[in-house]
Amino acid sequence: MLRVARQIFRFRGLLATLTARELKARYRGSVLGFLWSLANPLLLLAIYTFVFSVIFKPRVPGIEPYALFVVSGLFPWIWLATSALEGSMSLVVNSGLIRKAVFPAELLPMVAVLANGVHLLLAMPILAAGLAAARLLGYAVSGVAALLLPVILLLQLPMIAGLAVGAAALTVYFKDVRDLLANLLNLLFFVTPILYSLQSLAGRPFFWWLVRLNPFTPFTAGYQQILFFGQPPSSSLWLQMALVSLAAWALGAGIFERLRENLVETA
Amino acid sequence: MTDPAAIAETGRTPAADRGAAPGTRPPVIRVDRVSKRFRRSLPGDRLRTLKSALVGGSRTRDLPREATIPAIEEVTFEVTRGESFGVIGGNGSGKSTLLKLVAGMLHPTTGELAVDGRVAALIELGAGFHPEISGRENVYINGAVLGLSRRQIDRRYREIVEFSGLGEFMEEPVKNYSSGMYVRLGFAVAIHTEPDVLLVDEVLAVGDEAFAHRCIRRLEEFLASGRTLLLVSHSLDLVAELCDRVLWLDRGCQRLIGEPRRVVDAYRQAVAEQEGAEHLAANQQREQETDASAGDEPRRWGSRQAEVTAVRLLGADGSERYHLQTGEPAVFEIHARAAQPLADFVFGIAINTPRGFECWGTNTDLEGFVPEQLSGEAVVRVTCPALRLAPGEYAVDVAVHARDGAPYDYHRRVLGFTVTAATGGAGVYFPEHRWEFAGGVRWGGPADPPRP
Repeated sequence: MLRVARQIFRFRGLLATLTARELKARYRGSVLGFLWSLANPLLLLAIYTFVFSVIFKPRVPGIEPYALFVVSGLFPWIWLATSALEGSMSLVVNSGLIRKAVFPAELLPMVAVLANGVHLLLAMPILAAGLAAARLLGYAVSGVAALLLPVILLLQLPMIAGLAVGAAALTVYFKDVRDLLANLLNLLFFVTPILYSLQSLAGRPFFWWLVRLNPFTPFTAGYQQILFFGQPPSSSLWLQMALVSLAAWALGAGIFERLRENLVETA
Repeated sequence: MTDPAAIAETGRTPAADRGAAPGTRPPVIRVDRVSKRFRRSLPGDRLRTLKSALVGGSRTRDLPREATIPAIEEVTFEVTRGESFGVIGGNGSGKSTLLKLVAGMLHPTTGELAVDGRVAALIELGAGFHPEISGRENVYINGAVLGLSRRQIDRRYREIVEFSGLGEFMEEPVKNYSSGMYVRLGFAVAIHTEPDVLLVDEVLAVGDEAFAHRCIRRLEEFLASGRTLLLVSHSLDLVAELCDRVLWLDRGCQRLIGEPRRVVDAYRQAVAEQEGAEHLAANQQREQETDASAGDEPRRWGSRQAEVTAVRLLGADGSERYHLQTGEPAVFEIHARAAQPLADFVFGIAINTPRGFECWGTNTDLEGFVPEQLSGEAVVRVTCPALRLAPGEYAVDVAVHARDGAPYDYHRRVLGFTVTAATGGAGVYFPEHRWEFAGGVRWGGPADPPRP
């Protein structure tokens, strides 16, 4: 796992080039081009706002405006889920590259992680604008603690990288990983307090514990804390985030390292 | 660094000057009893593979033999700094697998492999290029994979473009490149990133003649600057010319390793023997077919009062040959049998090209032998102290007939053999010759390529 990290660090320049290329390639041939990276989160926020303030009006004390609460957890979740899914296919899709040329394979899932990270960063101004608008309307949301965002992002990077790298290596052997992963992520989405707050489960110990023990919960709570509530996370939450992130990296990179021997010939 | 002007002046650096003596310098590539076996991909295997790899311990080497395909078996060699090492062998002999092992793309199943320094590999056409993006961007990505920073590539970029000769195409996506352009760009990047070890697999054959020459000149400079080359090629002449030592792989096993010309000759001999056997099998099959169908051009006809029972081509030492170097001594040995004693008989032999052009033919009558008696078993030998045929394939016709031409046994294409020469030449005849020059003519190429 250290070797995977070393390789990624050694080829960081190449990783940056490849990520830039990936971002450029994504919008090649589209009229709005890079604007989609801003338009996508904006439209998502607009839809949620419309649905939850015009169509349903959920009674969710403490997490209003609800649409902003949801996207505070949802945007980071999208980073995680798309990185893991795209990352899982990265070695298979680029098998020509790693089978025929000397190429540091661990970079390929990392490109997915970083490219989607950039999309998350581009969604943040949209969220900030939404939160600022809510404050003007008199809601007590956000605050200076939102400036901790870079810290949480960097702290979560190993976790997402671990997921993508591990899934990529597994998918080489076992294409089913992608479908398993997609369904698993769908399931996990509902066990992660994105559409609801952990507090709202207080009366139901089984669900409370289920969500509490979900390894994806600490980061979601962390993002909601700083972005939506404008509160710095407690030291216990920091610790949980750090542990979950390290564990995910160790697991993912460990899997990659274990499978490395036959990776090229199997891809 | 060697002064490029000096190289232009002296032409190619003779292999011996590069200090080919192995063992006197530390090895750059050390391959020690390396074997590589691939798993057979049977259904359900992937899951097993995954499980065994994750659970631990169990690797390819622990699998039963029948579950694997051997690609390389127990190969051992060392390559020293500044050495040019060639690998030859037929298709599927494991050459590319060996290269990928040295490149670090594959890992040995058993054995030890160590490479000291930065490695660049040209393994497959267009490999490592992203088809959708421009040649320029690909140069940067390729350079970065080879371990160069952006600034280092900036410095070399102009040279790379110049060497590849792709100036106006650098902004085009490489998917629009021809195969020659892929090779030009790939080679240009690899050589200009100045790796310690360069691995080249065949790809040079795709470029045109002029580019191939430029590559070879550049490889000579590369070697002269103390770097190391591992070259896989089917172009035996190129290997013999450029390499200090050559490894011959035969179905994954190390057949021979050593001085290039010796290894290349041994390989050619083996190939020719193989072809000879195939020639023979094909001949016999066609013979049976013609015997059965009696087509318009039979391969064997005659009354069989006398019969050719065997024809062999022998070398100077009496061993059976299917391959000759031009100018080598050759003996055609004809075994014949006459059931009843004959007083009127002529032995004849002719050498033809596969398309039926007669290069040479003679018989005992033409050369003044007066027959008396042929009975029982007989052996006739035609010895050529120096058979000066041009490189190519040849077939031998042998006949026993009466002096008026009435055939006893006329046997066409009874034997096939291959002739090679150290240099090229067209036609069928390859006389001993040399070139001499005087006055305002000067050559930049090799001073004295080996003469037959």
